[in-house]
Amino acid sequence: MAATTAASQNLAACHLCCKLAPADVHHCPRCGSAMHLRKNDSIQRTLALLFTACLLYIPANIFPIMYTDQLGKTEASNILGGVILLIDLGSVPVALVIFIFSVMVPSGKLMAMFYLVWTVERHSPLDPRQRTVMYRVTEFIGKWSMVDVFVVAILVALVHLGGLLVIRPGIAALSFAGVVIVTMIAAESFDSRLIWDSMEEPGSEDRTS
Amino acid sequence: MKTEQAEITQGRKLSGIWIIPLLALVLGLYMVVHTWMTEGPEIEIAFNTADGLVQGKTKVKYRKVDMGLVEEVRLNDDFDGVIAKVKLDRQALPLLREDTRFWVVTARIGAGQVSGLDTLLSGAYIQLAPGTGKTGQRKFVALEQPPLTPTGAPGLRLRLVSESSSSVSTGDHVVFNGYRVGRVESMKFDPEDRQAHFTLFIDAPYHQLVNSATRFWDVSGISLSASAQGLTLETGSMDTILLGGVAFGVAPGIEEGDPVEHNTEFKLYDSYEDILKNPFRYGVHYVVSFEQSIKGLLPGAPVEYRGIPVGRVERIMVKESTEMSLQEDHEGQGDPIPILIYLEPGRMEIGDSDASVEAMKNNIRIGVANGMRASLQTGNLLSGAKYIAVDYFEDVKEKSIGTFMDYPTIPAVSTGLQQIEQKLSAVLDKLNALPLEDTVTSANVAIASLNQNLESLHTILESQSAQQLPAQLDSTLRQLRETLSGLSPDTEVYQSINSSLLRLNRTLGNLESVTRTLAAQPNAVVMPSDPKPDPVPEVRSR
Repeated sequence: MAATTAASQNLAACHLCCKLAPADVHHCPRCGSAMHLRKNDSIQRTLALLFTACLLYIPANIFPIMYTDQLGKTEASNILGGVILLIDLGSVPVALVIFIFSVMVPSGKLMAMFYLVWTVERHSPLDPRQRTVMYRVTEFIGKWSMVDVFVVAILVALVHLGGLLVIRPGIAALSFAGVVIVTMIAAESFDSRLIWDSMEEPGSEDRTS
Repeated sequence: MKTEQAEITQGRKLSGIWIIPLLALVLGLYMVVHTWMTEGPEIEIAFNTADGLVQGKTKVKYRKVDMGLVEEVRLNDDFDGVIAKVKLDRQALPLLREDTRFWVVTARIGAGQVSGLDTLLSGAYIQLAPGTGKTGQRKFVALEQPPLTPTGAPGLRLRLVSESSSSVSTGDHVVFNGYRVGRVESMKFDPEDRQAHFTLFIDAPYHQLVNSATRFWDVSGISLSASAQGLTLETGSMDTILLGGVAFGVAPGIEEGDPVEHNTEFKLYDSYEDILKNPFRYGVHYVVSFEQSIKGLLPGAPVEYRGIPVGRVERIMVKESTEMSLQEDHEGQGDPIPILIYLEPGRMEIGDSDASVEAMKNNIRIGVANGMRASLQTGNLLSGAKYIAVDYFEDVKEKSIGTFMDYPTIPAVSTGLQQIEQKLSAVLDKLNALPLEDTVTSANVAIASLNQNLESLHTILESQSAQQLPAQLDSTLRQLRETLSGLSPDTEVYQSINSSLLRLNRTLGNLESVTRTLAAQPNAVVMPSDPKPDPVPEVRSR
């Protein structure tokens, strides 16, 4: 199926209202927002935010995510420690859920994004359809990795029994929230059209036609 | 001129978005540095057991201020102890020195005191006591027992050595004149030199009482000893009887010495008696050889001069004596037993110095020339303990000070049974010398004349008149009885005598009242007496 892209027609789509306009026009003739052929500095932005997420991911795992003050005795727990504790206690399914959403999803997201950026930068000829699916999943799953932060936030708000039992958030909770937010922004600033752009370049013309 | 065309290249513009990871990096670095800066040292303390140690709960305290937390308790590599990993606060860093001590504080009830009751509720904690050595130490060995002296307490730490068995143990009191001034900090028996080593701590104002002339003795329990002086029962205060203790002081008559340093070593004497026996520093050895049994004479027995103790028996030189006897020219001669004695001039109150030793030597030399001799005396008949008495004897062969194995000797005289034997034989000799035979013959003559006298008396008694004497005596007695029977209570004579006596009695009674009046009122003969009117009770108006 021969496809004609907007770019090849020297047309750019508005980011906001998706109106097609000539690429040399700087503002959308319909809504007046700034117009680019592709998202501005998409790769660099995504990469920078990904690095930020990586940096934040370190304290998120090292430092305690919450403190439990029980009868004057303070107990600090971090994410991996909590998972190990749950496995020791026999709650393998719960441990698995926490592990998937708190460890696997954020790190998987980071890796997927890095992979996408890397392939775009290299004009990789790998199946763009597959990579687009990967991007969609990453974008969709992004909001669900906040589960951990939500749990801590709810516990901190709920459990305040004076001197008996108090739960306080740790520095890791903040870092973890940062990781999730930054990766979401990173996914947002990634222009998925770049995946397909490599198809338009000469040499790969015959494949698309 | 060739115009060069500027080459325009589309350089990769660095997006401003990179500020965000840079910011995160800076923030992260700041956090790492901050944590590293505020993080305290992590140390390892080796314990014997993990008794009272709880991971993540047991605290480390110094002056009751929290200094850290036990993070991990595990067995050591040899499985013969426990290692506690402790995370300390940064402020504890200067407290970690080479000789910093740690111990577990739990509730303790000892013979002397009760401590750490607060740990019953809060749980045990590790006490830190900073040392004074180099800083930087990270591995420590905990004390099994809390140190008895608080860290940094002013005072004096001393070492004591005891050769004999004693009942002094850790925690015992150190007393001076019965007052508690310190305590025994540690006790260790060294199997190599077979001595017990003690560490004492004398509290601050009292450490001035200790000087180089001070002697320490064991006042633990009750000591009962029998010696030449008799039985001695010694006790300390109730505390020391029950718990034991160490007393110190300067023996009477001794001058105070110089101040002492930390960790000076002193000898621990068994008893106060022991110190009284050896309070002096200067003395001189002599040898006394006895040609009699020395049974009952023990090392330590007193040497007395006219009842005043001047020294003691050091030892009986059996070895030297035997060696000498085994020499050829001494065989079968029955050598005397040499006794080594130690005389101290300090006991004679002529001072404890080298000069007085010389004076004493000189004195003894002159004394021996004038009949001064040593003799063996029984001090206690019950125990048979003997002592050596030095005194002047008359009728002794002239002798002078000799030498025996490089020691000067004091000549000895035999005493005791041997002396009694000598005296007895002297008495017998005198008895022998008496003119017994003459006496016996004259006595015989006297007895013969006495015999004659008795015979003549016999003839007198046998004569006629002597035979009639009893009958005459009998008739005389009968007449006397008749005369007396006239005076029996039924007779008139008796009655009249009786009534006369009664009357006389009454008269005497009257006379007595007269004399009493006269005695009270001598003028009653001339003046009439004025008796007082009878007292009449009065009516009192209300």
